[in-house]
Amino acid sequence: MIGTDVEVVHAPEAATRPGRPAWIRLVLLGVALFVALSAVRVITGSDQLTSSGTMGAALGLAVPIGMAALGGLWSERSGVINIGLEGMLILGTWFGAWGAYVTGNPWAGLVAGVVGGMLGALLHALATVTFGVDHIVSGVALTILATGLARYLSVLTYLDVENAGASQSPPIKQGFPRWSLPGADSALGQVEAERWFLVSDLAGLIRGLTTNVSAVTVIAVALVPISYWVLWRTAFGLRLRSCGENPVAAASLGVGVRRLKYAAVIVSGGLAGLGGVFLSMVATSQYQEGQTNGRGYIGLAAMIFGNWRPGGLAAGAGMFGYTDAVQLRGSAVAVHALLLLAAVGLVALAAWQVSRRRYLPAAVSFAVGVAVYAWYATTDSLPGQIVTYTPHITTLLVLSLAAQRLRMPAANGMRYRKGEE
Amino acid sequence: MRRNRFVTMAAAVCTAALVTAGAAACGGSESGSSGGGGEKTLKVGLAYDIGGRGDKSFNDSAYAGLQRVEKELNLEIKDLEAKDGETNADKVQRLDLLAKSGYNPIIAVGFVYTEAVTEVSKRHPDVKFGIVDSLVESPNVSSLLFAEHEASYLVGAAAALKSKTDTIGFVGGDHVPLIEKFEAGYMAGAKKVNPDIEVKVKYANEGSDGKGFKDPTSGKTIAQGQIDEGADVIYHASGLTGVGVIEAAAAKKKWAIGVDSDQYLTAPADQKPYVLTSALKRVDTAVFDFVKSVSDGTVKGGPTTFDLKNDGVGYSTANKEAIKDVQARLDELKKQIIDGEIKVPDKP
Repeated sequence: MIGTDVEVVHAPEAATRPGRPAWIRLVLLGVALFVALSAVRVITGSDQLTSSGTMGAALGLAVPIGMAALGGLWSERSGVINIGLEGMLILGTWFGAWGAYVTGNPWAGLVAGVVGGMLGALLHALATVTFGVDHIVSGVALTILATGLARYLSVLTYLDVENAGASQSPPIKQGFPRWSLPGADSALGQVEAERWFLVSDLAGLIRGLTTNVSAVTVIAVALVPISYWVLWRTAFGLRLRSCGENPVAAASLGVGVRRLKYAAVIVSGGLAGLGGVFLSMVATSQYQEGQTNGRGYIGLAAMIFGNWRPGGLAAGAGMFGYTDAVQLRGSAVAVHALLLLAAVGLVALAAWQVSRRRYLPAAVSFAVGVAVYAWYATTDSLPGQIVTYTPHITTLLVLSLAAQRLRMPAANGMRYRKGEE
Repeated sequence: MRRNRFVTMAAAVCTAALVTAGAAACGGSESGSSGGGGEKTLKVGLAYDIGGRGDKSFNDSAYAGLQRVEKELNLEIKDLEAKDGETNADKVQRLDLLAKSGYNPIIAVGFVYTEAVTEVSKRHPDVKFGIVDSLVESPNVSSLLFAEHEASYLVGAAAALKSKTDTIGFVGGDHVPLIEKFEAGYMAGAKKVNPDIEVKVKYANEGSDGKGFKDPTSGKTIAQGQIDEGADVIYHASGLTGVGVIEAAAAKKKWAIGVDSDQYLTAPADQKPYVLTSALKRVDTAVFDFVKSVSDGTVKGGPTTFDLKNDGVGYSTANKEAIKDVQARLDELKKQIIDGEIKVPDKP
């Protein structure tokens, strides 16, 4: 019986993914992109593109988005759309800072933030799974509720506290431990300073990702493969995913659909809560209203971009974090250099489409690629207005290119009631 | 079927309750209302800009003024905070509420209140309004304006004098004309003492929705980027975002320059030594003077400008060790600005 189930769940994915396994293609694409990036760095001379500082900042900016995306993955794999991630992120920022402020211990703050996110998720699960409320409606309501709740709680707790108020907590003095790979900083720093093609870029990448890394970052990164293992390599994960593909069939095999949906949504809230904790305690050192700044929604986009797979969503979050880091740090010059990369990418896409005998899309890609190159060649920098929105524009472009190849869990967003077809 | 309908109803009620609870929880805050005893003739209302109390900068400066009003003039005070992503209607409502509850004078902190004050001041012609950072033409509105570019000029000079790499940074909040005034003054001051200096400029947000003033994560990343490109003094005019700027600078043992309030005094102990100075904008003085003029009956409508001449703006010398070697030069420049020998530009 279980064997049949496996086939049912995997068949549609296998159909859309011929040839090499997805993760190998992802890694190959990543390597190709990095080599191209390195080449662009050498040609344009904007060292910020691959410096360790940029890579470190990219990791930091990617973590909250990645955690929201991972939360979305858990929830949506069980068939519950979770647009309330933003709200759970907000609860994570508030409770994280509050826990650390009250106890003086960052780890207590982490637990409080995760539990805060889980409580928000519990409400979402109650509304969607038990009461069958439309998932989008419940998610939006949850986000509104979380915004109001955070403010209400701030008024209650922080109004008479120095350096705090209705829109922020006092600064958290105790931070999480930070680690560096022994020796990596100095040794790789020298290699990076040489500015060799590829070698220095690689050194910058590794140095950025291994120097002065917060404990929460390490936990967050580890949660991606752990989620993969749990969802794709355990019986629990298989049953959970079957709820998102065909809950009626799953129930007929004795799977406790509601129980699993509850579990998935609550884990989802815990992950988003952890993303919130990162924002209020690692990225900065206090809770502030509006701190999440829509990162929950961007996380959701990263998850869709990643085709409801852990590796894909990590790539999506990484891409957003990287472009954001480049635009914040390197200003207009480095983003201008990215234009060249975009032009090269579009021409490569055109070549690939020609090999597939799709001549019209190929011509369009080629023309756009040439236009982007002309833009690059005739200007020295980009207007600040465009630079600020680099991450959003990139996400939009990549998502629109990838959209035709995505497949979401078949019963995602559908209402499930026991005994109903 | 009946059960279905019950569940739908229950769900609808639940969702409605969630939404109402969310909206209801967004109310304002109240603090320090009347403490009994003493004669309290005036009730002073104040509405904060985005960022609110605790931003260690602009709004806290207004709060300091309000506290002085309570203590020295012995008046009843009430302050309300703005909430994230609010509309103009929310601001109108907030000011209207204060006016209807008998608060007079009412102070609106920040240029975001321009339209709201214009509208509400017409509705309540007997109430005196004060607005910080914006010019509203109305007989019962006093516009409290600042020459931020003059203070920025002095800290720009300080930055250029202190820089060893001939590279300094500027981090703005929203890219709006008010913040460009800070940028222009800073740039001019730096170029005055060192014409070859390179100034890295970055705004946290290109829009004007206030996001750039409350994103310390971005502030930290921007500052780290500028430091990696050689900047060793960074000035911010970005409200709460600047908390991240100061944090990043202190972590790399570079200078940071605060804004509005004296941020040397509010920085955590381990960051204090790296706060070179702050461009002071005495919103506290402006708030206090305005309320005092109302209570004396000497209040005038129209603009009042606070500049170097009347000590409405200035630079801080709280970090004595850091600033003492350039102080003489800064005071000389200050005198030249007051005397009109130097004209500080207010646009980049």
